[in-house]
Amino acid sequence: MTDAKKTKHSDTRAIALTAAKYGVLIAFTVIALIPFVWMISSSLKTSIDVFSIPMKWIPSEFHWDNYLKIWERVPLLAYFKNTTAVAIIVTFMQILTSSFAAYAFAKMQFRGRDFLFMCYIGTIAVPWQVYMVPQFIMMRSIGLYDTIWALVVLQSFSAFGVFLMRQFYLGIPNDLSEAARIDGLSEYGIWARIILPLAKPAIATLCIFTFVNTWNDYMGPMIYLTTDLNKTIQVGLRRFIQAYSADYNLIMAASLCSLIPVAVVFLFLQRYFIEGIATTGMKG
Amino acid sequence: MKKLFALLLAVLMVACMATAMAETTLKVAGWDITTTPYYEAIKNGFEAANPDIKVEWVDLASQDYNIKASTMLAGGDTTDLYCVKELSDMQNWSKEGLIVPMNDMIAAEGYDLTKYAGMDACYVSTADGQQYALPFRADYWVMFYNKDLFDKAGVAYPTNDWTWDQYAAMATEIAEKTGEYGTHYHTWLSAVANWAVCDGVNTLADGEYSDLKYFYEMYQQLEDEGVCMSYDELKASGLHYSGAFAQGNIAMMPMGYWYVSTLIGYIKDGTASMNWGIAAVPHLDGVAAGSSFGSPTGIAISAASANKDAAWKFASWMCSEEGAKAIAETGTRPAYVSEAVASVMAAAEGFPTDEISAGALLPTAISLEWPIGEGVNEIKTIVNEEHSLIMTREVEIDEGIASMQERAAEYVK
Amino acid sequence: MTSTQSESRRKMSALEKRNTLIAYSFLAPNFIGFVIFTLVPVVFSFVLAFMNWSGGQNITFAGLDNFRLIFKDFSFAKSNLGIALKNTVFYTAMTVPLTLVFALGLALILNKVRGAGFFRAVIFFPYVASLVAICVCWNFLLMKNGPVNQILNAVGFNMKKSWTSSRDLAIWAIIIVSVWRNAGYYMVMYLAGLQGVPAELYEAATMDGANGWQKFTKVTLPMLTPTTFFCSIMMVISCFKIYDVVAIMTQGGPGRSTKMLVTYIFELSFGGENIATSAQYGVASAVSMVLLAIVLIVTFVQFRGEKKWVNYM
Repeated sequence: MTDAKKTKHSDTRAIALTAAKYGVLIAFTVIALIPFVWMISSSLKTSIDVFSIPMKWIPSEFHWDNYLKIWERVPLLAYFKNTTAVAIIVTFMQILTSSFAAYAFAKMQFRGRDFLFMCYIGTIAVPWQVYMVPQFIMMRSIGLYDTIWALVVLQSFSAFGVFLMRQFYLGIPNDLSEAARIDGLSEYGIWARIILPLAKPAIATLCIFTFVNTWNDYMGPMIYLTTDLNKTIQVGLRRFIQAYSADYNLIMAASLCSLIPVAVVFLFLQRYFIEGIATTGMKG
Repeated sequence: MKKLFALLLAVLMVACMATAMAETTLKVAGWDITTTPYYEAIKNGFEAANPDIKVEWVDLASQDYNIKASTMLAGGDTTDLYCVKELSDMQNWSKEGLIVPMNDMIAAEGYDLTKYAGMDACYVSTADGQQYALPFRADYWVMFYNKDLFDKAGVAYPTNDWTWDQYAAMATEIAEKTGEYGTHYHTWLSAVANWAVCDGVNTLADGEYSDLKYFYEMYQQLEDEGVCMSYDELKASGLHYSGAFAQGNIAMMPMGYWYVSTLIGYIKDGTASMNWGIAAVPHLDGVAAGSSFGSPTGIAISAASANKDAAWKFASWMCSEEGAKAIAETGTRPAYVSEAVASVMAAAEGFPTDEISAGALLPTAISLEWPIGEGVNEIKTIVNEEHSLIMTREVEIDEGIASMQERAAEYVK
Repeated sequence: MTSTQSESRRKMSALEKRNTLIAYSFLAPNFIGFVIFTLVPVVFSFVLAFMNWSGGQNITFAGLDNFRLIFKDFSFAKSNLGIALKNTVFYTAMTVPLTLVFALGLALILNKVRGAGFFRAVIFFPYVASLVAICVCWNFLLMKNGPVNQILNAVGFNMKKSWTSSRDLAIWAIIIVSVWRNAGYYMVMYLAGLQGVPAELYEAATMDGANGWQKFTKVTLPMLTPTTFFCSIMMVISCFKIYDVVAIMTQGGPGRSTKMLVTYIFELSFGGENIATSAQYGVASAVSMVLLAIVLIVTFVQFRGEKKWVNYM
């Protein structure tokens, strides 16, 4: 009797808890999405209606032609091509060089390791704005100015990537690599056969973040790219905002278009990303 | 053997001549190239006059022009000429030896500087007294108005001798009668309070800001009465003046002359569809009607240019009467002012045809928006910061002005 | 005996040498690029802090002048550096804990819930969206008559201004956008961390009669310290570098209420909105040295802490 009562009581509690959980989640989902909803709704309005007060969430008339107009007014296609090229090359380079270097930092003992690592950490801390002028002068002197290659070499060797990979590697038990060493596997072999497969989720993480950061970066392209057709999407977006600063509907339409590739990459990788982390017992 | 040698020599000479004859290409940095029509006009005019030199514009985003041009100059970019957006930049560049003085070229050609109405003087370096740039454009502020709204309110169009009090009264009246905005102030300091320098005596770097009070009070009253849009909302929405006025619900807007070509473009492509005109900006009692302020835009030659002679040819052409006409035809006000140029300006396609608008083309006096000199950048930062506090009503006008004076005192020379 | 000892030592050092060489070969691809494109310019900016330079050929030694200039009349109420420091520290002190609390809370809820994938994706999404578009959106949402103020007014607040136009609220606008944007990112980090907490620990705790709260404080939190360490170190550093959101939303205003360290550095090197280039690269570098010093201290403290309280399994 009392037992049954107790179970019933804990049942209602569990249901209430679940309901509360979903309530919170839905609230946060709404908060996370509201600006995007506004973006979509604005992109379908006329520019005058965007700032009408009180605001209308659903446009009185849907102006789908805004999405056609933006392609006519700005060379968006060229921007997309450039950005895709930079993002893919940078992502590939970063994963390759970071996963390699992080191995030395996380799994090997050698002289100067801590000092070098502090150098890396130190530069993560130094705002890029501090050294971008000396960097620019250097880039120019080696002839990389106004090419997307400037952005590629700028972002391919990030200290952040090394730091991230190292943190992941630290979570992989040393016993694994020690055992492999005793079995006579070379360090390169350990990296390729043991660590790298285990680090798949870390690579996925780095991959998505690098891609997204490169895609959304606008300070770098702003400084390095002058020719219109060499520009990337974010600088393009910025130029567009400057040139058509009153056309908020078009700006929002263009912004939404610029989001799509990143959203697709994210949706495609994020499942694998999280699930992979769980299966490899990453702790860091 | 001798023949062969002669032949070789001939070939060599032809080759040399061919190189000499070959086109020189000048790279010239400017901003908003694709959206500002006069760049193309200058290029076409100059290339027609100098077939052996080609011009290529390098487009830098306007918001970041100062950063980018400075970085390019410092990095030794091969761009030959740079438009000068900010006078203080030009001063810095000249001090750093990034641009070359033009005195020798000016002297050699006997180039006439008197037609710039004094606007050339600000391109003289404060460090060595040399002329480092020439003005090709001199924008001063005028008042744009929407004739349709004046007609709707049934009141007469503005004239070139209005006082600020008349203006404020008219803005209020139109707002009452039409239910639209009587006037519009962009968020800049220049649009709201820069008028104090029109007397040619005050400057914004003199450390004395009580002369701004009149304009802030006028603004706040208009804002309170709903005669103009609020600063707060403009700032938050980022609404640009060009779109705001083009919407057609604003009767008047003091703005730089550069907006003429934008507006003509808007009317042409259907973005805006109102009848409009310009008039001189209103004046204070005791200041001559038709006084305004403005800033010139100049052209300077990079020290890293490999074609300095061609670059000088371009700069001197751009700033001459010929260049001025080409610029004026696109509805932009060149620095070189003569009767011929003025008539070209009034005849530009899309320019209002009334006499008052034509009269507004000849201001009586133009003061520099900001003087040049050491410490001015710091003062500019300070005044702009306090300006934003006054405009958002975070501080009282008196408080803000006192703060400007206190903070600027350190940098006033 | 002596010979075998020295031989083994030689052997050891040969092995060590080989090991070091291999380690360097791992580092090389990244390190060479890193040295050329990052370290050299960084070192140059150190030198610059003691120079007078505005970008041209004239570069002169300034000694400590740049530092004297920025520390002149130092106070948190008046001097530019003081205000920038105060704002940046306040921003960091608010953003980091708020983001971590939201991130952890959301991760805990999401950890074992049906439909987690969907919610996770949605809440993470703000992080990947383009900043320019986001800031334009938020500026509108936080406007005088915008949706946020409409709601606040309905529940009894008296909001008369856009957030970005108020000295007190402007920095909160920046904080809100930052937390909103980053919570999803760190939530994902925490979710990953939670996956790594062995279920046996919870079972053991349940056997010991621990309640939900005790399980959270005694099992979850300690097990998540590596994640917390990683998240907080990254976030503190990135908070100190805050620039872009400020540049797009408030331009450091109104007045100096959202002027941050990097905003100040930017102003000194490139000017700000409607403000011409001052190109005081030396002074700007001096300010960035201050920024660097702070960040290094934070990093050092956290690194020392890592050894002490981080629980690597």
